Amino acid sequence: MSSTATMNLTTRDATAAAPAAVSCGHCGLAVPAGRVVDGAAVHYCCAGCEVVHAALTEHGLDGYYRLAGDEVTPARTTGKSYVELDDAAFHALHVRTRADGLAETALYLEEVRCTACVWLVERTPTLLPGVVELRLDFGRARADVVFDPAQAKLSAIAGLLDRLGHPVHPYRGLDRDAARRREDRALMLKIGVAGAAAGNIMLLAIALYAGIFGGMGTRDETFFRWTSMLVALPALSFAATPFFRGALGALRSGRLHLDLPIALGIVAGLGWGAANTVRGVGEIYFDSLGMLVFLLLVGRWVQSRQHRRAVASAELLYALTPRVTRRFDRDQPDAAAIEVPLEAVAVGDRVEIRAGDTVPVDGIVIRGRSAVDAGLLTGESRPVDVEPGQRVHAGTVNLAGVLEVEAIATGEATRVGQLVARIEDETRRRAPIQRFVDKVAGRFVGVILAIAVITLVAWSVVASVGVGLERSMALLIVTCPCALALATPLAVTIALGRAARRGLLIKGGDALERLAHPGRLFLDKTGTLTEGAIRLVGWDGDAAARPLAAALEAGSAHPLARALCDAEAAAATTTTAATDEAPPTVRPERSPERSEGRSRTGALLAEDVAEELGHGLRGRVDGHAVAVGSPRWVSAHATVPAAMTAAIDAAAAAGETPVAVAVDGAVVAIARFADRLRPDAAASIVRLRAAGWDVQLLSGDDPRIVTGVGAALGLAPAACHGGVTPEGKLAAIRAAREHGPVVMVGDGVNDAAALAAATCGVAVHGSAEASVDAADVFVRRPGLAPLVELFAGAGATLAVIRRNLKVSLAYNLTGGTLAVIGLIHPLIAAVMMPLSSLSVLFSSSRTRGFREES
Amino acid sequence: MAALYFILPLALLVAGGAVAAFAWSVKNGQLDDLDTPPRRMLVDDERS
Repeated sequence: MSSTATMNLTTRDATAAAPAAVSCGHCGLAVPAGRVVDGAAVHYCCAGCEVVHAALTEHGLDGYYRLAGDEVTPARTTGKSYVELDDAAFHALHVRTRADGLAETALYLEEVRCTACVWLVERTPTLLPGVVELRLDFGRARADVVFDPAQAKLSAIAGLLDRLGHPVHPYRGLDRDAARRREDRALMLKIGVAGAAAGNIMLLAIALYAGIFGGMGTRDETFFRWTSMLVALPALSFAATPFFRGALGALRSGRLHLDLPIALGIVAGLGWGAANTVRGVGEIYFDSLGMLVFLLLVGRWVQSRQHRRAVASAELLYALTPRVTRRFDRDQPDAAAIEVPLEAVAVGDRVEIRAGDTVPVDGIVIRGRSAVDAGLLTGESRPVDVEPGQRVHAGTVNLAGVLEVEAIATGEATRVGQLVARIEDETRRRAPIQRFVDKVAGRFVGVILAIAVITLVAWSVVASVGVGLERSMALLIVTCPCALALATPLAVTIALGRAARRGLLIKGGDALERLAHPGRLFLDKTGTLTEGAIRLVGWDGDAAARPLAAALEAGSAHPLARALCDAEAAAATTTTAATDEAPPTVRPERSPERSEGRSRTGALLAEDVAEELGHGLRGRVDGHAVAVGSPRWVSAHATVPAAMTAAIDAAAAAGETPVAVAVDGAVVAIARFADRLRPDAAASIVRLRAAGWDVQLLSGDDPRIVTGVGAALGLAPAACHGGVTPEGKLAAIRAAREHGPVVMVGDGVNDAAALAAATCGVAVHGSAEASVDAADVFVRRPGLAPLVELFAGAGATLAVIRRNLKVSLAYNLTGGTLAVIGLIHPLIAAVMMPLSSLSVLFSSSRTRGFREES
Repeated sequence: MAALYFILPLALLVAGGAVAAFAWSVKNGQLDDLDTPPRRMLVDDERS
């Protein structure tokens, strides 16, 4: 370990240790009291961070902490074995063997976020013998690996990347990537050719313009004109093919498109310029045309870059369900279950799901009782109890006991699989919006063509056909809408860059146009309006019973038990509000190390603990018989004073979850649990409604809770829809789309299809990967205030686009008028064109959107 | 000005060479990923 890194770590720790909370040496999260080691320089919030930190320092990779800066987020490692990557079938599909015996493959990495990720991942060859080369494409989160199959297994490489915090998936978008790469290269080549041609023609044009004033021999002038033409004709005809193709497409489909007037201007310019060169009289416009084609191509490239970040949704299914599972042999049902790849499980097979595992298939419980967290799939904040005969779905998490499940659907046939298929469907089917600039272009091209015809006819009558032809051609060339075509990409690119710095990742320019007009706004509740994690919000009754209850609950993985222990641990270290910042993730974590660490928090130890699934816990703590659980279950075994009954009713009415605590046969306290509203939720809702949005809640949670939350935010019960299934959310969005634009804001997998179906989907901080992919916008800051900023910024950006269009139309009007009356000079055209583009650039950079609020 | 008739085509030939070099680098995939190199540059090479 280098000395700088040691210093780094201790300063990190020193600043963090000053307040009551101690932050983790790896991820920066608060360290629970039970894991603070006296005298240690660095503390860790969990064993995972400790292992990663040790792995990094041991290999001399502690530079990570220097590069990561403020971007450090909790690393997510899965600890999967990745054995399936060594399968011969997988190799045949995804791994290419090179002539020199080395193997090549592409992997898709999760959580690629910053420079530190690039650095760390690309150090893999120094960590693992046999890895020859590993290059990370930051934009696509794609790692290209070259390795020696004799020395390193792919599973070992994947396992190492996973331990470094980047869970690995096989890269399935290779064909699509190759196609996109071909397009990118073609466009890049055209930009290069257009740029070189424009520069050289410009130099020739300067000589010609100088000749106008300084006098130039006819022979020299003819030479320069012919040279310009010989450069311009082949180079620009080649470089402008995208516009010709777009214009032909527009003509065929009958839809007016901005490419049409552009192609018209380019064709008219090249044709008329060539004719004048051959004739030896009249103006040539090659210099303006060269610059025009170059700028337009750059604008087009800027636009295509915005769409890069959209990640392949085909990856989703694989991130949601586990890829290995424990299956019972069909022929020997009594033998222990063995690990098999998920693909090997067929309908009718029985699988074993341990506590903490993600359910791999849709199935029916054969044996065992447990509670299942279906939050990711349905948005319910409370766990659902399951017993034999009931159905469980893939993608949900088994919280308590071991379950034996008979599979009734696997892979894409599962509910989550179908949900992902719906997401892809909806994304594909989403109608492209009629872009504002195309609407303008449609009218523009009609008007220009009409004026050109009038000019031709009028001047032919007044003067001659030659004059008419010359002036109508000049009109078409001068009004070629360069600034018009640049107006949108410039404004959008600047807005997207600013938004990204403010923590709002917007996937494309049209998302901004979709957000600019207020319509109906559907908000998910769990994780969006609320913090997404159940917390202890109140304790009615004897406070002395709290440590007893916490000690009893210490060994349970139930979310309510965890919430109670967290609150107790926080109280023990007198940490106030330190854990309020950013709940780490929606997924509850259940590593054994963590609960073990927490159980050490209380000095009290529980004995004879018996867990009654779905009801509560009983045991002995400090000589008292303690029972903690649902009020109905506890009151069956203990007496309930009237004050406690009132407290239970009050909690239920407020949309909270009451839990009764009985000590020695009498209920002495009621713990109230709720998923707390985000602190800025109410103020943000008021501002959104003031901006004209019709705000409604759409949640999979209990309708009573949803209505309660809505009331706290000032929303009418009619605007609060509770108990909505993922399929129901999709239907609600579709129905609402009939009446106008619909924006959906959500975080869970259950929202993903709705996000894709909405006019614009917004995934909030802490969202599941599936929703981030399905949405158009991903908000990286917690809370709802960024939403308000997003809508305001989108409106401001559209205003800038409008202003740009006005500016460029004003230039075209001036140029067009000059051309019609025959006053246009090629020099004026050559100056006006870049000037109009520059003023559009200036206007774009002065946008008000996505600025720091002052 | 007679030199012009020789020098101008020569200059254009050189420009053509530059375009050819650019085309070669595009076809070789050197400009495929424009996001990672600016980040990779931030990293000092400590060893090797």
